Amino acid sequence: MNGTGGTTAGSAANNGDSAAVTHYRIRHKTEYRYSNNVAVCQNQVRMQPVSTANVACQRSELTITPEPTSKDEHFDYYGNRVVTFSIEAIHQSLTVEADSHVSVLRPTVTANTMSAPWETLLAINDTSVLPPRCAEHRFLSPRITPSQAYADFALPSFSPGRPIVEAALDLTRRVNQQFKYDSTATNVNTTTEEAFRLRAGVCQDFAHVQIACLRSLGLAARYVSGYLRTVPPPGKERLIGADESHAWLDVYAGVELGWLGLDPTNACLVAMDHIPVCVGRDYNDVSPMRGVVLGGGTNTLKVSVDVEPIENPDAAE
Amino acid sequence: MFNDDRLDPLDFHERRSADGCVRPHWSSLTDQIESLGVDVMRQRSDSIEQFIRENGVTFHADEKVGAPDRPWKLSAIPFVIGSSEWQTLHDGLTERTLLLAEVLADLLGPQRLIREGVVPGELLWTNPYFYRAYHGLEKSQQKLHITAADVVRASDGQWRVTGDRTRAPSGLGYLLENRVVTSRAMPSLIRSSNTLRLASFFESLQEHLQSLAPSHRENPRVALLTPPSGSYREFEDTYLARYLGITLVQGSDLAVRGGGLNLKTLGGLQPIQVLWRHISDRNCDPLELDSRSQEGVTGLLRCIRRRSVAVVNTIGSGLVETPGLLPYLDAAQQFFFGGPLQLASAKTYWCGDPRHRSYVMDHLDQLIFRGAMAVTSEAPVMVSQLSAADRESFVQRLTAHPEKFIAQEQLRFSQTPVWIDGQVKSQKAALRTFQLLTPDAVHVMPGALARVGNDELELSRSPVCGQMTQDCWVTSESPVDQSTSLLPDSTTVIRLRRGGDELPSRVAEHLYWLGRYAERGEAIARVLRTTLARIAGEEKWDSLVEVRRLVYTLASMGQIEPGFAVDSFVVNLPHVEQTLPASVMDPDQPRGLIRTMESVMHNATAVRDRLSVDAFRILQRASRELTRPVTSTTRSGQSEIGIGEAIERVGILIVDLLALAGVTSESFVRTHAWQFLELGRRLERAEHTCELLITMLCPPTDEGKSICDAVLETTDSRMTYRSRYMNLVRLAPVIDLIVTDETNPRSLRFQLDRVAALMDKLPSVEGPVGLDAIQRIVLDLQYRITTADPMKLSETSADGTLETLKTLLTKLADDLPVLGEAINARYLIHTESKQLLTGTGR
Repeated sequence: MNGTGGTTAGSAANNGDSAAVTHYRIRHKTEYRYSNNVAVCQNQVRMQPVSTANVACQRSELTITPEPTSKDEHFDYYGNRVVTFSIEAIHQSLTVEADSHVSVLRPTVTANTMSAPWETLLAINDTSVLPPRCAEHRFLSPRITPSQAYADFALPSFSPGRPIVEAALDLTRRVNQQFKYDSTATNVNTTTEEAFRLRAGVCQDFAHVQIACLRSLGLAARYVSGYLRTVPPPGKERLIGADESHAWLDVYAGVELGWLGLDPTNACLVAMDHIPVCVGRDYNDVSPMRGVVLGGGTNTLKVSVDVEPIENPDAAE
Repeated sequence: MFNDDRLDPLDFHERRSADGCVRPHWSSLTDQIESLGVDVMRQRSDSIEQFIRENGVTFHADEKVGAPDRPWKLSAIPFVIGSSEWQTLHDGLTERTLLLAEVLADLLGPQRLIREGVVPGELLWTNPYFYRAYHGLEKSQQKLHITAADVVRASDGQWRVTGDRTRAPSGLGYLLENRVVTSRAMPSLIRSSNTLRLASFFESLQEHLQSLAPSHRENPRVALLTPPSGSYREFEDTYLARYLGITLVQGSDLAVRGGGLNLKTLGGLQPIQVLWRHISDRNCDPLELDSRSQEGVTGLLRCIRRRSVAVVNTIGSGLVETPGLLPYLDAAQQFFFGGPLQLASAKTYWCGDPRHRSYVMDHLDQLIFRGAMAVTSEAPVMVSQLSAADRESFVQRLTAHPEKFIAQEQLRFSQTPVWIDGQVKSQKAALRTFQLLTPDAVHVMPGALARVGNDELELSRSPVCGQMTQDCWVTSESPVDQSTSLLPDSTTVIRLRRGGDELPSRVAEHLYWLGRYAERGEAIARVLRTTLARIAGEEKWDSLVEVRRLVYTLASMGQIEPGFAVDSFVVNLPHVEQTLPASVMDPDQPRGLIRTMESVMHNATAVRDRLSVDAFRILQRASRELTRPVTSTTRSGQSEIGIGEAIERVGILIVDLLALAGVTSESFVRTHAWQFLELGRRLERAEHTCELLITMLCPPTDEGKSICDAVLETTDSRMTYRSRYMNLVRLAPVIDLIVTDETNPRSLRFQLDRVAALMDKLPSVEGPVGLDAIQRIVLDLQYRITTADPMKLSETSADGTLETLKTLLTKLADDLPVLGEAINARYLIHTESKQLLTGTGR
C-alpha cells in the first residue's frame, strides 16, 4: 500500500524514463506461521499477472511451501489467473511466493489527451460496443454500494460537458487531497462507507471510494490490484523487499480510450510504474490470497514485495 | 355432498363447468365419493391423519431454523387433472424447463441474452446473489436437472406459472408422502380413477443421478446434502434419501481431499461422485462463496472444475428462478426457439425496467409485489391492503430501489373440492409441479403438490403454506400400467456390499447417544415403577428402608430434586407421594424422564434415515403416550397425575423402550451403526446398574430381603431368580445374578462382555502396537468382574457394609465414564475448528 509517506512514488510525468517499455521482476512472498498444527488448508491465490493491452507477463511462477497435496489453476470471470491448492499434511507454516517478469508499455493517454464529455459515456449502453465485462462495473458490488452521497462528492469534478480524462483526474486529485493516508485508520475489512466517512485510509480505501463516486454518477469503474515501482531517495540504494502491494482503479473512458487507470493514492494517471495483477469489481474479487484452515490456533502473517526494474527479462537470471 | 353449485361465477371451478355440469374427469370420482357417504369419508380422513402421524410427517411453516413443527395436513379428496388438460400442462412445462436450462446456460456462459438486449443487464448486475464464481464453473455439462414450477389456474381456466424453482425445489418429499398415504387410505378409488403413477419419475431421477457420476460409474455414491439439523428440509430430505436409497449428508460430514469430495466416516474417507444439494448456491463453498456459511464444504467449487464430482443442480442455478426474470422469459423463448411460451407466466413487471415502471406506479392497487432478486418465503405485498402509513413507506422503498421489486397481476385461483372438518368445501388451489431434465427428455412428474386455502396471498408464500394439501391425481381414460416399481432393474449388475465403514462420524455420534438416552429412559422408568408400586401398595411406606434407598437412587439419577439424596431426606419424605408421580411429567428436571425422552427423539430424528420406520414409530408413540394430558384429577379439581396413572405411564414407556430394543436387535444389520447404538446402551446400563447396587445393596441393613426384592424387580431379574431359588432370598445369589452372571442380559458382567466384544469390531486406529487406553480400561474392568467371587462379594464388614462389593462397584462407577469419554474422543468428536484466512497484501 504505497502512500505518500515513506518512499516517493514515481509517475509517468516525472520519472524521466523515455523508453516505450519497462521491464520488471516482481517477487511477492506471503508467509503464515501458526501457533498450532494445521491439519488441512485450502487456499486460493491471485498473485500472478496476465497479459493485457498495456502489460505483457513474460513468465510467472508460484512456489508453495510445503508442497501442496493438489493444485489447480483457472482463469476467473474477470480473466485473472487463479491458483487453488490444498495442503493435507500437518504443517505449522505456509509460504507462497510469486515470481514474475512483466513488461509495461507506455500508456498513450496523458493528462492532456483530448476526450469526450463525460456524460456521453452514460449513453453508451450497446453491449456490443462496450468491452466485455464493462457494463456491470456501473453497479453495486460486494464492498461498494453507489449512493447520492458519493455522487455529491464527485459532482464538483464533473461539471457539464467536461472531458472524461480531465474530470476523472480531477476527482482523483480531490480524493487524494481530501483523504488522509493513514494505515491505522482502516483495516482490510473496513467498508467503503466507513472510509468515506473517516476521509482516511490506504490505497484500497482510496480506490473503493473513487470507484463508488464514479459508479454513483453512472460511470463504469473497476478495482485494480498490483504493484508500484518505488524510487529510492537520491543517493540511496533500492531496498529489497520493502515494496508493497498497491491498488488503484480503472474508469471506462469510451471506445477510443478504453479503460483509463487512475491512482487516487498518488493523485496521478496510471503509467509505467504501475504493474497490474488482477481486476475486479472491488477488493473482494481480487484478494491475493484467501483460505480455510483446519486447526492452526492463532497465526502471524508476513508479506514482502520486491519490485525490481530490470534491463530486459532475459538478463534477469 | 358436493355443495359447490352456488359458488362465485367469477371463479373457475375444477369440478364443475360454468353451466353447472360436472366435468368429465370428475364425474366418476364424484359418484364414488357420494356412494361412500359422509361416514366412510370421515373414516378415511381419520386413517389419513393416523398414517401421517405414524410417519411423523411434520413441516416448518417458516424456513427459519428452529421454527415449531406442525403436523402435515392432507385432504381425503384429491386435486384432479384430466388427461387432455394434463397433456397441455405437460407440454407447457416441458417447453418451459428446456427454456430455463437454456437461459441458465447462457447467463453462466456467453450471456447473449444480455448482449442482445433480451434481458436487461441490470437485472444480473444488480443482483447481489450473482457470485461471479458461478460463471463458467461447469463448461459443457448439463446445468439444470430438477426444477419445479408454481402453477395456478386463473379464472379464465388457463394455467399460469407464478414462479419457477431451479435451485433445489422443496416439496418432492411431501408430494411422495401424500401419494403413499392416499394410496393406503383409498386404494380402490385411486386405482379405479386410472391415476398415473409417480414411481417412474422417481426411478428416472434415481437413474439420472447415478448416470452423472464422473467415475465409479457402475456403482457411484450419490449423496443428498441437507442443511444442518433442525432445518425446514429435515423431514423431506430424510424421506427422499431413504426412498431413493441415497446417502443423506450434512456439510460437516463432507471433506474435500486430493481434489475430490468425500464422506467422513469411521472407516476413513469415502469418495462421493454425485451430490444432490439442497442448500443455497452461495452456501456451498466457504472458500469461494459466502465465507460465513457452515452448510457447505470447503473446496467444492474446485471439485466441480476438476469434474471429480457432479453437483445437482449446478451451483448458481438459482439465477434462473430470480423473480425479476419472469417478465423476460417470453422474449427469451422467442430468442432461442421462436414463438411465445405455451404455458404463460402470470403477468409480471420488473420495477427496475423503466419501460415497466410507469405502468406499475399507475396500477399499484391492482398488483402484488415481491422481491425481484431472490425467492423468499415472505407473503407478497398487496398494496391495497396496507394501512396509509405502511403504504407510504412501501412506496418510498419502491421508489428508492425499484430494481429490488417485481409486480405481478393478481390472479383468482381456481376452486376445488376439499375434504375439511368432516365435509366437502370449496377452496382455492395452487400446484407445484416437478420436472426432471435428462440428456434426452424432460420428465414431468404426473402429479403435483397441491395446496388449498382461502387466501391467494398465503398460498403464494412457500410450498408448505396453505390450510392443507391434496394429492394431485392425473387421471387417464385407459387403465394405468401398474408394473413400475422402485426396485432396481434385475439386469443391472450390482456389486454386493456389506455396509460398515461408510458410517459418517456424525451419525455414529447420534446413534451412540440414542442408545445411551433410550437406556437411561428405561433405567429411570424402572426405578420409578418399583418405587411407585411400593408407595401405592403400603400404608406405612415411609418407614420402608428400600423406599428410602430407591428415592435416593432417583435423586442421584436426576429424576427428582437432588435434595432427596442428602442424608436428612427423611424430612422431605412426606412430599414424595406427590413429587414422584408429578416427576414423571416434569420437564424442568434436566436429567429427568421427559428431558431424557426429548434427547432420545432429538438423536433419533437426526439419524432418522438410519432407523427403520417401525423403530421411529415406536419412539413417537412413546413420547406421545408419556406426554399426553393427564386424566386423573385431584380433590380440588386440578388435573394432576396420580400414583396409579404414573405407574401406568412408566409401564407403557418401559414396554415401548423394550420394543425399541427389540426392533433394533432384530432389524438392524450389524454394521458400525448398530455397534454404536449398542455400545451406548451397554455403557449406560452398566453405569446405572453400578449406581443402583451401590445405593441399594452396599449400606448396612436389617431389611435385606425387601431390598433384594426391589433390586431384582428394578433389574427385571425377579423371574429368573425365582426360577432358580424359589422364594429364598439370599444376598450371594442376588449379587451373582446381577453382577457376575454372564448369562443374564441385565448383569454387569454381561454389559462388560458386550462392550469388550463391540470394541474389538470398531475400526482400529493406527498407532503403536499393544493395548491402547480404551482397550486397557475395558479389559481391566472385564477382568475384575470375571474373577470376582459372588460369595466374597456378599461378605459384610464389621458395620454391616458390603465392602468388597462396594470397592468393585466404585471402581466400575469411576472408570466407566472415563471409558465413555475415551470412546467419544476417539470416534465421535470430529469437528475441529475452521478458520478463514483473508486480508493479505493490503
